[in-house]
Amino acid sequence: MNTLGFKHAMAAHCESGTVSSILSHAGLQISEPMVFGISGGIFFGYFESKKFPFPTFVVRNRPGQIRTNLAKRTGAKFAERRFGDPAKGERELNGLLARGVPVACQTDFFYMNYLPNHVRVHINVHFIIVVKRNGDNYIVSDCYSPSLSEIDRDSLMKARFAGGSFAPRGFLFYPKFLPGNIDYEKSIWKGIRSASFMMVKLPMPFLGVKGIRLFAKKVTDWPKLARDTEHLSHEIMKINIFLEDQGTGGAGFRFMYATFLREASELLNDPDLLGMSKRIMEIGDRWREISLFAARIGKRRDLGPDRLRELGSMIAARADEEEIFFRDLLALSKER
Amino acid sequence: MEELKQEIKLLIMEVLGITDVEPDEVGNDDALFAEGNVMGLDSIDALEIVMALQEKYGVRIDDKNQSRFILKSITTISEFISKNRKN
Repeated sequence: MNTLGFKHAMAAHCESGTVSSILSHAGLQISEPMVFGISGGIFFGYFESKKFPFPTFVVRNRPGQIRTNLAKRTGAKFAERRFGDPAKGERELNGLLARGVPVACQTDFFYMNYLPNHVRVHINVHFIIVVKRNGDNYIVSDCYSPSLSEIDRDSLMKARFAGGSFAPRGFLFYPKFLPGNIDYEKSIWKGIRSASFMMVKLPMPFLGVKGIRLFAKKVTDWPKLARDTEHLSHEIMKINIFLEDQGTGGAGFRFMYATFLREASELLNDPDLLGMSKRIMEIGDRWREISLFAARIGKRRDLGPDRLRELGSMIAARADEEEIFFRDLLALSKER
Repeated sequence: MEELKQEIKLLIMEVLGITDVEPDEVGNDDALFAEGNVMGLDSIDALEIVMALQEKYGVRIDDKNQSRFILKSITTISEFISKNRKN
């Protein structure tokens, strides 16, 4: 199969993995954790709103920000387009592929029919790279697949133009300018300063470490919001899914951030960053204990007040640790 | 390697509290998470196994995409441990 020299790589997360792969193909070798870290991807937010059927939380910045922040901080530029008309979106994609340009596309994950059925759910912010056409089909690089895959035209069109929240509207992007020399020192510290600031300095009580603390407090009230034990159990088990299963690289992106800090330490020859990498890796290990605890009590329907208080204290302890960690990291970024 | 495979089987059974299966009933190349596996493992068990392997052998398996392949069978786990063990 001639795939124009495109080198497929698996990655932990679809957005950071796609940005890393498409930049590497274009000539800028940059790892997934480096993309994530420079973009200031690590975050926490706890949300309760009438818009959501149940409280939820996020562990990274908003979809799209990995690409936009990386571009802003490195000087790389991406061509980007959305389409009201699916036919135009298809023509644009085919035109780019005909010119040999691999294209990153936002899709509904459900239609990625080369992946096993049990993993496919409707999520409108899954990113893949369409590498080339193969008759009526397309060769795609999906970082969740071990090798290049093939998808039929109808499935790709449905995936690119699915409705609902975060509807992709055919969104596509590809690099159009790569800087000759990236000032990694500047980009890395900007990413670190921005992520640390977002974690400890935002005034809103539901964002950053304040958000973790709010989550710790509110989780004990979840039984009042759940329809019944079955529903509560499902929501508690989702804590594990959000931290471990949704392409986070483990422990809600904390491990990926640790890898970024380690790589940054090597690149900038800065031993302090290696120390910080070890600290967030250990914090990640303890987030993982929360994942396991939540999954266990959810599975066993062991959801009495004592258990939820225990869960709440574990989460509160992570808030305390991350507050110290990100304050130290912010201070370090100001010294550099 | 055979000794390590046996050790891993025993570790998994101990951590997950599996008492009704004999180690010999688990084939080294059996798909651990396939339907019908004698140990009846699920994704929560996978996380527990990952944490136990980290504690015992000092190996990290952070990412789920990575663990899918490493935890495929006793053989794949033992290959990963032999290459990466710290303890």
